[in-house]
Amino acid sequence: MTDFTRRKAIAVAMGTMAGAATAVSLPGAAAAADSDLAIFVKLSAALTGIDALKLAPDLDQKKAPGTDVIGIKHAYFAVASKDPAFPDLMKIAREADPNFAAAAEIITGKATDDIKFLGRSIILAWYLGAWYPPKVLQKGTRPGLTDVTVISPTAYTQGWTWRVAQAHPMGYSELRFGHWGDRPTSTLELTGKKLEEP
Amino acid sequence: MRYRQWLLAVGASGALALGLLSWAVDAETPLPENPDVANCNFTGDTFPNPAKPDELIPTPITPELLTSGQPCHQVANIVGLPGSDRLASLQRGFDFYSWLTFLALNSPDDDKTPIGKGPRQGGDAPTRWEAIKNYRQLGDVMLDNGAKPAWNTRVVPRECKALDDASGRKKMIVKLGEAAWNQPFKTGPLIDQNGNYALFDILMNEQMFNYVSNRGLYSREGQERFHEDIVFPMGANPGGIKQTGKPISGTAKMGAVMLKVSWRILDPEKDKALIPKFHTVDALVYFPGPPADKIVPPGTKAGPDCVPRKLGMIGFHVGHKTQFAPQWAWSTFEHVDNAPTREEVTANKLKPQYSFYKPGCKDCLGDNQTPPDPWDPTTSLKFHSDKKSQVVREKMLPDDVLKEVDEFNTQFRALLKGTVWENYMLLATQWPSDFASTTDCNGGPAPTYLANTTLETYSQADPVKGNVPLATSSCMACHGNATSQHVPATASDFTFILEKAQCENGRCGPRKAAVLASPFEAKRCGLVKVKIPE
Repeated sequence: MTDFTRRKAIAVAMGTMAGAATAVSLPGAAAAADSDLAIFVKLSAALTGIDALKLAPDLDQKKAPGTDVIGIKHAYFAVASKDPAFPDLMKIAREADPNFAAAAEIITGKATDDIKFLGRSIILAWYLGAWYPPKVLQKGTRPGLTDVTVISPTAYTQGWTWRVAQAHPMGYSELRFGHWGDRPTSTLELTGKKLEEP
Repeated sequence: MRYRQWLLAVGASGALALGLLSWAVDAETPLPENPDVANCNFTGDTFPNPAKPDELIPTPITPELLTSGQPCHQVANIVGLPGSDRLASLQRGFDFYSWLTFLALNSPDDDKTPIGKGPRQGGDAPTRWEAIKNYRQLGDVMLDNGAKPAWNTRVVPRECKALDDASGRKKMIVKLGEAAWNQPFKTGPLIDQNGNYALFDILMNEQMFNYVSNRGLYSREGQERFHEDIVFPMGANPGGIKQTGKPISGTAKMGAVMLKVSWRILDPEKDKALIPKFHTVDALVYFPGPPADKIVPPGTKAGPDCVPRKLGMIGFHVGHKTQFAPQWAWSTFEHVDNAPTREEVTANKLKPQYSFYKPGCKDCLGDNQTPPDPWDPTTSLKFHSDKKSQVVREKMLPDDVLKEVDEFNTQFRALLKGTVWENYMLLATQWPSDFASTTDCNGGPAPTYLANTTLETYSQADPVKGNVPLATSSCMACHGNATSQHVPATASDFTFILEKAQCENGRCGPRKAAVLASPFEAKRCGLVKVKIPE
């Protein structure tokens, strides 16, 4: 075998859990202001109660390095951003940054109806993988079958309802065969938050 | 008196020792499952610039890589050429590792000639994985009567003996079962433009073989008796030196490797012009015929019979269980002339000839359409209908992965120019992006979907709906559901090989459910913990 050590080729063992591996920072890399997508995710965390790093594991590479292979956040951001009230909703979030809990309180409480119901649509998107248009929710009646759309086949499988319930959607599971014989994964592991006692 | 007693004592001790020694020799010694290896390839896709340590340099794709050996595990940087894009950096590292693996496995089996320098046309030669000292075919491990397989013993069915080569080089025997011609999820056979069935074969390395053998997993009953977790040995690459300058501790091990190879039949006369573009084998295709006992899983409708065929390699899957990829790393390669992409079809930028596509074809099926019943091949290996498969490669990978893989393919294929091997390309590598996840036991497969047009033809993305989870091919999402024949079924560590085990003595009795004495153990993903080699 050719000895690549002659070239001083240095191999860094890959491992998301290998804390000893040293990341190489490249010249010119500077901290960028949060993008709209990052703001959207952090606001969504405040709205849904799910930890932001669970919604988007690649959100903060410095504090918690991770990857987001499925990237469902892009799908939800794309559908929400089409709503006319989206710029106003994002303005509230940016002005409250980093206090997204305060932003969520404004959006669900004092904001105009257009923003308020858009906030609800975003919550439902994350939990159910389906888009309930704000205008439909505003009616206050049960949505008709054609009022709601599953955002994508992937969104169907990524709804947080299932993880909070420690279950999985019909026809899809990320657990292995026989998982029903194992101790269930905790809500903390699934959502990043402990379930509060009633 | 005392001396005599002493003599008696010594004599008795000696007899006892001899007896014990005899017992030790008679008892079965477990086969080594993951022995140390001396020559792991630990080349990564990048390395730091010695002059500027903060800067990364891509490893040059030079002829040295052709003989650099097989990686024992991937070497991938969390910050690589794509900069801080962790996913892209790791993907690039895995794809580089896949190419090194392909080069090593497809090097000539004399262990000294470089790939592409073999004695046959186009520098072709029997490969390392074809040698029974290195890999064994599924049919030689999961024997018909559930008998214990022997590593270095070639199994030649009676019907093949007369056709076998009596001189030095033995022919590859491809034993047909349903998995040898029917695609995953029984979605149907693949028929080439000559009307022949494509054939598939599965192999495993010695580490995987020994694991199966030691635990009796080569028979259904053996799996019923085995009540522990199934965890195949992992590859580990401690030869590399960490960024800190300190060597990684431990010894190098290859771990379990399994292969799935797809072949097309080549006529030595009609396909004379094609043969120099393929890695080929002269094979004997064995039809075991229908079993006498209907309880035993069926063999083939035709046969027993054995027919000689020249086979050209069209697809090559590698599954390698490695450190930090306990859900395995999944590499897949194809022949460049299998089928066009959807974009090429739309733009009408087509080659003159493909193995599984014909522009303007009048006797072809619809794009990626399953052939009509019946499916079981006859000994002619010709499809019963004049309909041929019309395969199109659907887009399933993100654009950045496609671009990065294309760059690697251009560079590696240039190294192999003038050989049969320049006609093979990497599709991508699927790997666990979150291998320690306790909520996703598949470890966050990246990329999410991956299909080989010859091996997962009918599980590609829907051209209208796009990728649909579980309906669209994903190595890990599919293999994560593999189980053993234990009752109740247990996870079989991402391989369907164990479900191919037959019954002892060729007779299947009632299933034996396990009565487990040990208390319930809290587990994650079917395992007590992810085991990393020490």
